[in-house]
Amino acid sequence: MDKRNSLSKRIKQNRVAYIMLLPTIVGFIAFVLYPQLWVLRLAFYKYNGYTPPVFVGMDNFVRLFTRDTVWWQAVGNTFYFSTAKLLVEIPLALILAVILNNNLKGRNIFRTVYFLPNVTSTAVMSLVFYFIFSPYQGILNGILQSIGIISEPIDWLGQGSLAMIVCMIVSIWQNFGLNMILFLAGLQSIPDEIYESADIDGATPVQQFIHLTIPMLGRMLQIILMLAIIGSLKTFDLFKVLTNGGPGHDTEVMMTYIFRYFFVDNMSTTAQPQLGYASSMGLVATIIIGAVTAVYLWMSRKLEENY
Amino acid sequence: MTKKMRISIPGLLLLYAFLIIVLIIALFPIVYAIFGSFKPNAEFVAGGSRLLPKEWRFENFKEAWELANFARYTWNSVFVTAISVVGILFLNSMAGYVFDRADFPGKKLLLGSFLATMFISTGSITLYPILQVTKLIGANKSLWGLIIVYVFGVNVTNVYLFMGYVRSLPKELDEAATIDGCGFFGIYWRIIIPLSKPILATIALLTFKATWNDYMMPLVFTMSNEKIRTLTVGVVALQNTKDGAAAWNIMLAGTTISLIPIILVYIFTNQYFISGITAGAIKA
Repeated sequence: MDKRNSLSKRIKQNRVAYIMLLPTIVGFIAFVLYPQLWVLRLAFYKYNGYTPPVFVGMDNFVRLFTRDTVWWQAVGNTFYFSTAKLLVEIPLALILAVILNNNLKGRNIFRTVYFLPNVTSTAVMSLVFYFIFSPYQGILNGILQSIGIISEPIDWLGQGSLAMIVCMIVSIWQNFGLNMILFLAGLQSIPDEIYESADIDGATPVQQFIHLTIPMLGRMLQIILMLAIIGSLKTFDLFKVLTNGGPGHDTEVMMTYIFRYFFVDNMSTTAQPQLGYASSMGLVATIIIGAVTAVYLWMSRKLEENY
Repeated sequence: MTKKMRISIPGLLLLYAFLIIVLIIALFPIVYAIFGSFKPNAEFVAGGSRLLPKEWRFENFKEAWELANFARYTWNSVFVTAISVVGILFLNSMAGYVFDRADFPGKKLLLGSFLATMFISTGSITLYPILQVTKLIGANKSLWGLIIVYVFGVNVTNVYLFMGYVRSLPKELDEAATIDGCGFFGIYWRIIIPLSKPILATIALLTFKATWNDYMMPLVFTMSNEKIRTLTVGVVALQNTKDGAAAWNIMLAGTTISLIPIILVYIFTNQYFISGITAGAIKA
């Protein structure tokens, strides 16, 4: 009785706080919670957006796991894309951060320009890259031909394996600066004295990098990698504009494939939206990304313990 | 702390060569787009390796502006971005303030659910129920639908950023204001907001960047109504029209129109931008 009294009293005391939070709570329910619950429910339905949804049990998942080879190709492409591009992007960002952490002339200019690609729109810049990599009118083939590296124009986006590499390049172009900035923030929290004493002990710069910088970056490195992995797995705009999943499904990733069943355009494989099926894919994508995050966190904790 | 340099002259030259190559690669696509927006289309058709236009054709912008509807798209982008930034600043700062300063039943549950939903990534499919909700309140036919979703769709990072900032402001300020007769909202409006300009500027920049550049959400929202397309959607949409191949100059003019505002803002505020990005990543 007493507890309930104090609870209602506390609610009354905080009346203004609740009123101030109300728009946020309403927005959260309407535009975050409800849509996610909708997806969770629709994953078990067949729904084209026009006729009422029909409950189909596990059918969508059976189709996804046993019959839809393109989905699994998209999952594979997503992982291939993320792994390969991060293997270049993260070391590049770290090296640049270590260099720019020194008192070099012009470091602010380098830092500002390296981050510039990250403030531009992925969709719009993907269009620009589509022009740059265009076989006959594109400037890249023009440059390569004029300096004699190639004699025939290369169809960068017309061959699957090459198109995927182009997508990686564009993604690295846009994101290396972001990761560099985050690494720089981590580096600046490492005290100078540690390097000074390492100098006195005669450690080479490479030794210092491996035995001091990397371990001292520890937690920051963990966060940067996690954000980069999740971000890569969720990439959409770049693929939608640059290749639209093509040629064939060679650059199809999870997010573009889900979009095909959600919105039907001239590139789609179906005549009608399949919102239920798209929901089941969205659910599976969430679980895949969640599992990757969990495994990553678990592994990095293990590594930390053993260091 | 910035380290002192200990490196030989040839090593330094190599280092600078590397930095400059990366610099050129980072700048090239943007410079290419801006110069390309002044080329006549014939120069693209001819191909080649020339970055600068042979003939400067300023009509590209006139045509994009008038014939390709970019005047309208630009206005749409400005409208959506401006109102979203103001709305998000207000709602997210208010939520951040309440979460830090008030201790009310349900606080942990709310913060917990905000955080939990951050890790869910079902992709574009959630846009369908979001569209349905805006349809329900009759806002799906205008830009207001898009604005409402941006403003009310709870940006957890912003809320956390503001929360962290308010925590650093001394509680004695609140107490003094209470004695002067300020209520809970009054403290937020008269004391906290004026003291929080740096973090508000950071949130405003992050929001401006995200809203101005967004593609997927406005793409889905403007499918049934071309008139309310934003700049990013409008520029990319030309790619798939049948005369798309013949309109590189127009598309690049549109691209330039969309790039210039964000680049200018970035040049003048890059310290805020960079510290905001860093804080956002670590907080979230």
